[in-house]
Amino acid sequence: MNNRFKIILLRLLSPIFAIFLAALISSLVIVFIHQNPLKVFVTMFSFSFRRIDSIAIILYNATPLIFSGLAVSVGFRMNLFNIGVEGQYLMGAFLAALVGFSIKGLPAFIHLPLTILSAIVAGALWSFLPIYLKVKKGVHEVISTIMLNYISFSVIHYFIADLLMDKSQKMLNGLGSPLVRMPKLMPTALMPRMREFLNMFGFNIPKHVYLNWFFPLGILLAIGIYYMLMRTPFGFELRAVGHNPDAARTSGIKPEKVYFMGFILSGAIAGLVGLSDLLGYFGYMDLDFPRNYGFNGIAVALMGQNSPIGIILSAILFGFLNRGAEGVQTFLNVPMDTVIILQALMIISIVIITKVMNDYIKRMEKREVSKNASGRTAGVQL
Amino acid sequence: MQFTKKILIVGLALVLLVSLVAGCGQKPATEQKQEQAPAQQQEQQQSQQATETEKIKIGLVFDVGGRGDLSFNDSAYAGLERAQKEFGDKIEVKYLEPSAGGENREQLMRLLAEDGYNLIFGVGFMFTDHIAKVSQEFPDVKFGLIDGAIDGLKEDSNVSCLLFKEQEGSFLVGAAAALKSKTGKVGFVGGMKSPLIERFEVGYLAGAKYINPNIGTMVDYIGTTGDAFKDPVKGKELALKQFKAGADVVYHASGASGIGVIEAAAGEKKLAIGVDSDQSLTAKEDQRKYILTSMLKRVDVSVYNTIKAYLDGNFKGGYQIFGLAEDGVGYAVNDYNKDMISDIQPKLEELKQKVIKGEIKIPMDKKEYEEFLKTLSK
Repeated sequence: MNNRFKIILLRLLSPIFAIFLAALISSLVIVFIHQNPLKVFVTMFSFSFRRIDSIAIILYNATPLIFSGLAVSVGFRMNLFNIGVEGQYLMGAFLAALVGFSIKGLPAFIHLPLTILSAIVAGALWSFLPIYLKVKKGVHEVISTIMLNYISFSVIHYFIADLLMDKSQKMLNGLGSPLVRMPKLMPTALMPRMREFLNMFGFNIPKHVYLNWFFPLGILLAIGIYYMLMRTPFGFELRAVGHNPDAARTSGIKPEKVYFMGFILSGAIAGLVGLSDLLGYFGYMDLDFPRNYGFNGIAVALMGQNSPIGIILSAILFGFLNRGAEGVQTFLNVPMDTVIILQALMIISIVIITKVMNDYIKRMEKREVSKNASGRTAGVQL
Repeated sequence: MQFTKKILIVGLALVLLVSLVAGCGQKPATEQKQEQAPAQQQEQQQSQQATETEKIKIGLVFDVGGRGDLSFNDSAYAGLERAQKEFGDKIEVKYLEPSAGGENREQLMRLLAEDGYNLIFGVGFMFTDHIAKVSQEFPDVKFGLIDGAIDGLKEDSNVSCLLFKEQEGSFLVGAAAALKSKTGKVGFVGGMKSPLIERFEVGYLAGAKYINPNIGTMVDYIGTTGDAFKDPVKGKELALKQFKAGADVVYHASGASGIGVIEAAAGEKKLAIGVDSDQSLTAKEDQRKYILTSMLKRVDVSVYNTIKAYLDGNFKGGYQIFGLAEDGVGYAVNDYNKDMISDIQPKLEELKQKVIKGEIKIPMDKKEYEEFLKTLSK
């Protein structure tokens, strides 16, 4: 009883420990650049949580990471490493942008879902080849997805810069430089922002916050994934294959089929990653479209330990680190490079602490179980 | 084993607890202070500002890469630095760098504007849309946009677009290349294929053809993405290819990839022409004698002038164009190349005057270049 309480307490405390360990190490870095660590942290937190726009921006920052964390975690659950989320989301965003600008005259309630659907389809298609090769030929998915990432970057660049570049941008006497981007999406394809909705409840969110309905969609998707994993036969099969494909096979599950379906699902979710930025902020796809959400999604999934709730929380933590970094850079003259070091330190120490804590908890649980077991056998003997 | 781990964990927990206590103990204290006397503080700040005769705050947001790229961003920084040196007591400067993907450019601009900055620069055309938005939210703040053009600005707008006639400077170094070439072949290595770099290319080719209509030209681009500006290996490869094919002067407009072009020239004992800033000054000692000159794009001048105009109360919105006439572009003469270039300098100066007077119309894209060639053959 006492022990069980301890375990729960430890679980709750471990993220807090992690944050303080991170704070401790990064304090050294901050002292090294002749700044007051306390001031930096106070600025980071007060800038992030005392302003309503910061809080909303944190959620906006977290949105793509929720999707990419979920996409990666579905792979991890099957013991597959989908490192190709990066390429899948870029393809998704690209096809969505294409559908968004080229189809004209549709009402929003058809155009927007169609745009989202095309992103899902593109992500799923881009994950088809690696899993096909994996299941049929045993090609390792890490290699094929990494290679497909490179291919997707280049294909998209070719389309944006050469074939579909928006030539209608005006330049003054031909001077300056146009943005290397595709034409702007139709307004009917864009995702409405949450600002007006939230302001009805008395929040006073300023205009420049791009938090949009993809955030609640991400939360819903996380819940859906949780339900799928824990409450449906397919989810059970997926987890079983992840734990031990051979055992799963002997119990009548076809691992190949599960791998196939699961990986395509992962790719389909990945297709959605870039949409919050594309449909909620930029409204066009350019050469400079945000990158690395796919790779950051791996960190988010690992930190969230593949649980949908954990993923949401760690995505929000990433969002906070980015927003806090902006504040620290602007108001305290801490250079960007230091801020990046701080972010990385935070992430590493959180991963380490949760790992150490989890191992410790597991050992305690085991001891508890064996104690109980030995107690019972002792009882029998008596 | 388990025991030591346990000790480790307990120790770690203790350290954390201590820091937790320390953190908890201190943070509220500072916050309290802040809350206790916010009014007082504000008054203090105000009076302080008043006594310091209110420094003008100038902000600058770099593009991805930030300081240290030896070209574009560094040049903008040089302008800021010069302004700080000259007007040190009147201004306060701050520069920021966006995150690796660049997605927070807009937020950084806005934060500076919120923080009371009076004049804010966005370095690079990627800021075009962001400045267009932020400048409307903060009508009292002035903005400088380098290399980008926002549509429909007027002189009383709060945005000043700083634009360069890269083709004019490139025309002069193209002429220099043709004058110096013994093989009758000159090369160009571009970074990312884009309308901007194309302007460097056609200006250069036009300059070379103007001197010698029969000159052979070679053009290569490193790539179609932003990465093309930081790929010195490929830069070197392409330059070597051009040298092997008979070119003896190669001009590059490829950012940091150009380091490879200069390396190739030094290796082959041929000539390279730098870009944006005076690259003779930043190249390695033994490479300097292989740099004929550099096409200067004076981003620093544009930044400095804008700050100066603001301080003098003459900030002008709209479009500031920097060409040969404004000394916004040009070719570099320094201690290392002055012997090499002195014999052709009179000719270059003559061409410069012709361009300024409008006697030579320099093409800005491929189509105009074709027409330019036709006028030459007449």
